[in-house]
Amino acid sequence: MRSERSRAADGSWREAWRLADPAYTELAFQAIYAVRQGNLPPDLPSDQLAARARSRVRQSKLMVSFLLGFLSLGSLLFLNPIAQQLFVVLLPQGLYVGTVLGALVVLELTLLWWTGLQVLPAFLSSGIVPLLRSLPVNAPTLRRAALLLLLRLFDAPAITCLVLTPLAAGIALHSVVAGLLLIPAVLAAIVFAIALALVSGRFFVRRVQGAQGGRLRSAVRWAYLVLWAIPAFAMYGFIVVAPAFLRYIAGLALVGPTSVLDLVFLAFPFPLTMLPAYSAGLPTAGVHGLDAPVVVAGVVVYGLLLAGTAYWLVGAPLRLASDTPMAARVGLGGIGRFRVTSIAVGVLRKDLRTASRTPGFAFLILLPLLDAAALGIWTYVATPSTADVFSLASGAVASAALLATFFGPAFFAIEVMGYSYTRSLPLPGRSVLLGKVTLVALVYVLASVLVVVLTLLRIFSPVLFVGFVAAELPAILAASLLEFSILFRRAQSKGLPITNLFAGAWWAAAVSIPGLIYAGAPLLLYDLLHDGAGTTWAVTAMAVLALAELAVVAPWAFAVGRGGTA
Amino acid sequence: MGAAGPIAGLGSPPLSVEGLTVRYGTKVAVRALTFTVRPGEVYGLLGSNGAGKSSTIRSIVGLVTPSEGRVRVFGHDGREGGLRAKELMGYVPESTLLFDALTPREFLEYIASVRRLPAATVSERTADYARAFQIVDELDHPLATLSNGTRQKVIVVAALLHQPPLLILDEPLNNLDPRSVRIVKELLAHYISDGRRGVLFSTHTMEVAEQLCHRVGILDQGTLQGEGSVAALREQIEEGDATLEAIFLRLTHEEEGVRDAVRTLTSR
Repeated sequence: MRSERSRAADGSWREAWRLADPAYTELAFQAIYAVRQGNLPPDLPSDQLAARARSRVRQSKLMVSFLLGFLSLGSLLFLNPIAQQLFVVLLPQGLYVGTVLGALVVLELTLLWWTGLQVLPAFLSSGIVPLLRSLPVNAPTLRRAALLLLLRLFDAPAITCLVLTPLAAGIALHSVVAGLLLIPAVLAAIVFAIALALVSGRFFVRRVQGAQGGRLRSAVRWAYLVLWAIPAFAMYGFIVVAPAFLRYIAGLALVGPTSVLDLVFLAFPFPLTMLPAYSAGLPTAGVHGLDAPVVVAGVVVYGLLLAGTAYWLVGAPLRLASDTPMAARVGLGGIGRFRVTSIAVGVLRKDLRTASRTPGFAFLILLPLLDAAALGIWTYVATPSTADVFSLASGAVASAALLATFFGPAFFAIEVMGYSYTRSLPLPGRSVLLGKVTLVALVYVLASVLVVVLTLLRIFSPVLFVGFVAAELPAILAASLLEFSILFRRAQSKGLPITNLFAGAWWAAAVSIPGLIYAGAPLLLYDLLHDGAGTTWAVTAMAVLALAELAVVAPWAFAVGRGGTA
Repeated sequence: MGAAGPIAGLGSPPLSVEGLTVRYGTKVAVRALTFTVRPGEVYGLLGSNGAGKSSTIRSIVGLVTPSEGRVRVFGHDGREGGLRAKELMGYVPESTLLFDALTPREFLEYIASVRRLPAATVSERTADYARAFQIVDELDHPLATLSNGTRQKVIVVAALLHQPPLLILDEPLNNLDPRSVRIVKELLAHYISDGRRGVLFSTHTMEVAEQLCHRVGILDQGTLQGEGSVAALREQIEEGDATLEAIFLRLTHEEEGVRDAVRTLTSR
């Protein structure tokens, strides 16, 4: 019979699981109830609290899984030959299938990476892994426990990708083998996404969360955050430019040069996503075709990269989560002047400063801005007609409005931080509400200014553009007031924070529905009226409706929080 | 510490707690607690872990809604006039839970904005406190990166920034270095010397309570077991030379339990 010590020395997976399971519960508990931030958990027995925390985390993972499943099953439509004809006629079917599957895998990678970035700062700074290290457990078991803890954060989304994506490909191509051959590409996307999330998550914990104060440093932090938001924004951009990309591939297949086509298909994950197309016997060559050795070389390279990354991932969670996550401190040696503002502006500044060190919040600010900038630039790249430019611009303003309204409720979560302290301050709920609404309005206005400035250079019609942006603004204010006041009332009645990015997102999503209706109604009215009644009347009607919404919501919203904060 | 600003409700005591009961579901954390912090007094709230000290303090500062009873700060009801009561308080929580993403400078600017303090006053006072507590070099680093001791210093500065007439201190000396402990003690002594302000000081360190507090209230299982100056409590237990620790153990009926625990631990 083997001794206790020799069994522990093996670093068994069972022992690692025994350590990782309660650690996962603790991580879920921290994420949901923010007890370390001073929040009081509900009055429930500890086992029920733990079960509820795990259940909420499960719900959040299921939301991400649902989106991934939707993408996977949606690919069934795009892999249909009829859909191919809608995009491009001349692209050989094999190249089309490989390209569509490649796009799907890239989307999965970016979505998993972005999801990981939301949760990994919590994982890295939770202190759970260092706590495990203090236990008398050998290094292999610790490595495995940390790895299992990390993988638990991705389990449902990763399994969804691994099952549904090959299944969808197999059904679409009428070939079990083709479906199975997509597994390496999906597996690689999952492994790369987790590794990227771990590395970039740690980078942001050190360089963004841990960055010093000051205006110049704030600018540098936001620059980092823009870089960080690009992969997530790329998901959206990828969908927007997909038809143009397919036409580009079709052009290469038709007129060459083959070398460029080969180079494009050397990029991840195309060599791997070409495997199902080859196995289904689909044609991969038009006038010009892919060189098979190029695809084989790509498969070998990415296979090796996958193996190397997987090997690295085995030890990385323990190593990275155990390091002191923050950058070394250097004294700046000065007290300087302090700036004091009104309470609402103080709330706004605090939220912006928090967002500048919290990638999850920063993303919510940056996405509408990047979206507006991209659509503004698109009016130059795609050289649309004059009429289309206004449509694009109004579309960009509309999407900025809807994005700001949709993401707005998440900023309520900032109040969760420092919760025990802020509730002891003479902080009127009304000022908090104003600060939050101002932030959402600011995001909308900045995004609109970006797109208006860019499109004004194409069509100089400032009155129309500015009128459209201004007409929608009261609706944005009304929508935000509505969303935040619902959250405030809920929090005041429960005495608990109810929303954050990763966990308990149901409430944030739920309140964004009436918010989106409020923000969307004037835009819809504009769409209905502008063809028949003309743009000026449509914008006027839009403004009247938006102001009416604000008049209805504002008194109800400002009745919230006459006492302390929520 | 500079001069106090005008104190509203001057005729009322800094803090009066009447019949306070706090329940979490079926568990009663504080039971019909009544005590008063008088002007010019440091009142110590003593108790073992789980005795109800933090629940009492959380009710006073507005983090927990009392199930029954009333809290008044200079006559202002904690519920009806919550904001006014909070304006008159400075609070140091037991744990240093702050906005981790902010630097101390950003955090103090936020506190100053909420408390509507003039920028010049904030700059001047923060400079004084930062030098005294030796945190000048830490002012521009995120709180998440600072040690517990430094975070505690920041929270003490935040509580003192508006020089409130009532200080609520929940284990304020936790994590502080000896120099800072000494500074806080001296500050408190000076703070109440004008005879108008008051301090509620929660601790389970008997030596500190004995040294700082004019009167103490001893809590056990949510109820007040004894109250008064150390001399008065000595009379109550009829031991003229008893330390506060001995008084505490006697009033909370823990003397026998301590003896049993030590006997068990040392007999194996």
